[in-house]
Amino acid sequence: MQIMEIFSSKLPVGENLVIKKSRFEPLAKHDGSKRISIVSGIHGDELEGQYVTYLLASWLKANPNAIRGIIDIYPGVNALGIDSITRGFPLYEVDLNRVFPGGEDEFLPGQLVHALALDVKGSDIAIDIHSSNIFLREIPQIRINKEFSNATLPLAKELNCDFIWIHDAVTVLEATFSHTLNTLGTKTLVVEMGVGMRLTKEYGFQLLTGILNLMKKEGIIETDEAFEVREPFSSEVGDVFYLNSPTSGLFVPALSHCDIIKQDDKIGDIVNPLTGEIIETLFAPHDGILFTLREYPVVYEGSLIARIFGGSDEKN
Amino acid sequence: MKKIEIFKLTSLNREPLLVEGYLFEGSDPEAPSVAIVGAMEGKTILPLYSASKLIDFLKNSISDSKKILGNILIIPSINHYALNINERFWPLDKTNLNMMFPGYDKGETTQRIAKKVFDAIEGYTHGIILETREDLSTCMPYVKEFKSGFEDLEDAKKFGLKIIHYKALRPTDTVSLQYNWQLWGTKAHSIVCPGETELNENSDEIFESLVNYLNKNNIIKHKFLSAYESAIITSEDIEIIKTPKSGIFIPTKKIGTQVIEDEIIGKVLHSLEGKVIHKIIAPCNGVITCSYKNALILENAVAFRIIKNS
Repeated sequence: MQIMEIFSSKLPVGENLVIKKSRFEPLAKHDGSKRISIVSGIHGDELEGQYVTYLLASWLKANPNAIRGIIDIYPGVNALGIDSITRGFPLYEVDLNRVFPGGEDEFLPGQLVHALALDVKGSDIAIDIHSSNIFLREIPQIRINKEFSNATLPLAKELNCDFIWIHDAVTVLEATFSHTLNTLGTKTLVVEMGVGMRLTKEYGFQLLTGILNLMKKEGIIETDEAFEVREPFSSEVGDVFYLNSPTSGLFVPALSHCDIIKQDDKIGDIVNPLTGEIIETLFAPHDGILFTLREYPVVYEGSLIARIFGGSDEKN
Repeated sequence: MKKIEIFKLTSLNREPLLVEGYLFEGSDPEAPSVAIVGAMEGKTILPLYSASKLIDFLKNSISDSKKILGNILIIPSINHYALNINERFWPLDKTNLNMMFPGYDKGETTQRIAKKVFDAIEGYTHGIILETREDLSTCMPYVKEFKSGFEDLEDAKKFGLKIIHYKALRPTDTVSLQYNWQLWGTKAHSIVCPGETELNENSDEIFESLVNYLNKNNIIKHKFLSAYESAIITSEDIEIIKTPKSGIFIPTKKIGTQVIEDEIIGKVLHSLEGKVIHKIIAPCNGVITCSYKNALILENAVAFRIIKNS
């Protein structure tokens, strides 16, 4: 394993901003071997990906003879953000996942993402691991832009996630890592799982199994170890229903994340801590699986409370 | 003048956020109309100050209300919650209101705010957004006009500011107020205000440009100070001067200064030892339009932007 710097910039007071990757290569050269890049921490408040990259690096270190391709691991892209509990890039307050592809002549966040895009470019596959944010808890899921789904959907099915969400192309999302790399010819998948600022160990192991399974299928590792993966449900066969808060207050959930629910099941209450009143009780708009649930209790009118995936009425 | 409620949002612990617009009804139903949106962010003062000063001007300095020909709606702030605690974006989830347009009434909080604001300002013939720069620099005030296919540069000249920055549209600009307002048929322009957090003797320049614009579009009738003939600037006209060293940044030339090639315009000191580690030299003749605003500068940061003399 080699540790490499992909970007470095001298900060004003006695410190360098350094973005690192670790590279795992086969002990002997293999012709036509593939390269995969695993990226996490583009948002500084998302740590689930760092746990997955730890587990993956640990597995690769323990199994050097299994490696047939190149595995690049970029655990902490927004290094300053991660170490200061800041989602965006500190100082500039910009979302790094809205400034791709960046450029050498741009501001520091643009230079950083440009260096990342150039370094990942040429990989056959890239996986960008996110953990929702501090507000929402998500089951392990893959987000796929319809524009690139022919190439990426078959890979997504190997990743041992519970849900594949194929969304329409949106212009504003052209400034993301995944769109940039997909455009550059790297099949790039976005994973969302868990919650911001925390680790969910079982999800970490679940995704590790999926990544190892995908790498085995793609010939990047060769091992006798069997990786059993679950079959994800897909947004192609149903609809996503949103539940936003109708008012401001403190959200108290009544269900567990990931529950199978029926229409009109109680999702939770919005309460007033000053008066002791329940301001609103929220009910499920549809049958399905509660794949997103509010984690941060303070809500304003409009705050996302839950997302439910259910079969569409026509399709049922 | 009457105050109209644009939206009201309750909060768990704070007083409700009540955003109001100040509507000056014009005397001529045929006259063009304008809506002006002030502070969407909370860390600068000029968008708020300029909008509120215009309200005071229309209320108290135009003695004959018939001189207000077209309807004028001014919303001085849509983000009091951020302004009051010196946050830049929406305080809870840090989303940028100017990336939420045209808004969505069933969406997240800031999408709902954007929708309510957009509903209130839709249909005006002219629109003005008071913004600040996204990066860590401050600048001369200028009109920002996207190459969107809907822009009207001749109309943008009516502010009489020195510069109109005519720039390429990025993917993230498609969710900005300017782009969406134009898409819905309003001649919308953004004025980018200097990023100062204090007011000084130059702070009225934006307010004056607003009055110029209203006057030249026959929305008000009011004799006013003369204005500049705006120059339309594209990225090819701008020289970017970066510093190869990080440290303590001392600009030695002010924004708006005409500089000559090879002139020293700033320096960078070693932040722990104090010695000069880099002198910033003007690479061309021109006017400094932008400067890094923090005393601690990052490596490869843009220290200055100069519009080249042509």
